[in-house]
Amino acid sequence: MIEIQRAGLCDLVVDLGRPGRGALGVPAGGAADPAALAAANRLVGNDAAAAGLEITLSGPVMRFPAGGVAALTGARFAVTRPSGAAVAWNETLVIAAGETLSIGQARDGCRCWLALRGGLAVPQVMGSRGTFLPAGFGGHLGRALQAGDALPFAPGAREVRLLRAHPPSGEPDAPLRVVAGPQAGLFDDAGLAAFFSRPYRVDPASDRRGLRLTGPAVIHARVEMASQGVLPGAIQVPPDGQPIILGWDGPVTGGYPVIAGVISADLPRLAQLRPGDAVRFVTIEREAARALAAAHWDIEEQG
Amino acid sequence: MQSSDEKSLPRVKPKSGQPSLPAAWRWVSERGLRVASGDATLATYSELVSRNLPEIEDVIPADGSLLLVLRQGAALSAELYAALAVPLAAAPTTRGSLHEIAVEYGGPAGPDLSALAEAAGMLAHAYIDSHAAMEYTVAFLGFQPGFPYLRGLPEALHAPRRASPRVRVVAGSVAIGGAYCGIYPAAGPGGWQIIGRTTSVLFDPAREAPALLIPGDRVRFVPL
Repeated sequence: MIEIQRAGLCDLVVDLGRPGRGALGVPAGGAADPAALAAANRLVGNDAAAAGLEITLSGPVMRFPAGGVAALTGARFAVTRPSGAAVAWNETLVIAAGETLSIGQARDGCRCWLALRGGLAVPQVMGSRGTFLPAGFGGHLGRALQAGDALPFAPGAREVRLLRAHPPSGEPDAPLRVVAGPQAGLFDDAGLAAFFSRPYRVDPASDRRGLRLTGPAVIHARVEMASQGVLPGAIQVPPDGQPIILGWDGPVTGGYPVIAGVISADLPRLAQLRPGDAVRFVTIEREAARALAAAHWDIEEQG
Repeated sequence: MQSSDEKSLPRVKPKSGQPSLPAAWRWVSERGLRVASGDATLATYSELVSRNLPEIEDVIPADGSLLLVLRQGAALSAELYAALAVPLAAAPTTRGSLHEIAVEYGGPAGPDLSALAEAAGMLAHAYIDSHAAMEYTVAFLGFQPGFPYLRGLPEALHAPRRASPRVRVVAGSVAIGGAYCGIYPAAGPGGWQIIGRTTSVLFDPAREAPALLIPGDRVRFVPL
């Protein structure tokens, strides 16, 4: 069990989501970087799909009354434990009974994932233990964690091994790769030039539903558009010309023109964008994007 | 097979490496295949879902189009092409369940009704009769879990969205947005014109069937 003594900005129970329910208006959701959650789970001997915590910008203080086995992946946060021992990222951590883990501010990036041996034993709702905050279901009571919450773990299925994970290498400052969207043809050369030539900033009003960008307005021919299906990474341009990249908990249909879509391989980078960060886009052919493998994390014994 | 919005769009310049894709196909990132399906949207949706194709993670019906969400890295199979090539007239059309939804029209439950009736040149009771006389079909769900886009609204009742959306719309609000009628499953911000309210629970994630209405279902409104 973990007891939350002080909640972070938005601590959410997440797993790999509930895909396949778009026709009901329900997005797949799931960890913003599923490979990072899966790697944290493997470090504690869980199945990749076990429920853990997604921590955003500022984390919780949590007590482990009976101890536990944990692992952190994703963005580095300031974190302390009473013994003063360092808390390593991407490693199996053994937490003593009564120990407290204090997760502070993100040092770089935006989100990290905490896996706990056995996985968080919250009820499954529509096939997932993950929180869907916009409609208030799943996870722990459909909401972000609060001080006083106590979350049990399921029993661990495998023996504890001390492991270390190696995240895939990436270029955090490279432009986000996009495939031209279904309404790219609505944008004239000036609109496309604005979109591709100059950086946008991530607006503070961004969350798991969407990243709002501010920058050069992308002008397009105004048409009455029929609602169409969309998915995370789709970049909508509302009439004010300020693009919105749909996130993991975004709507499944939308009525704004979609200029482009961030490719699946770059969605984990969206998870690490924080308010004020600069974003640029570059196009890639769809077939090339499809051939890019999902991020691979190597995991080995700690030596 | 083309919807009206598709016809009005300039064509995207052809991409290399995709020589054989039908002109009405578009991509939303590399794994969302948007297919214009016009009036055959629900029939095509049923056809695709019934085939249970392994490369498809989800199929999202919308207004005259379908979004096929492919599993990451999946290629398009011959069977998918075949499913999309089924002659649409021959595609099975099953009639969905009929739901009767009791509505309290006007007053605090439907704050926009009197203005809409006036704009339509109708008395409030005639407006209500007109709205309740129709049988509606659930075209698709979106915006919120369980929010139905209902087709079948009489043309005289079509109305634009509000210039400024409400910060909070009450759950169960029956509303009009353009040519569609919708019902808000949960409280939240909303820009549609509200004409009434129902106590029916449109979405409950704990139910075996979380959404009361699914694409293809039919709806009749019963004035209280």
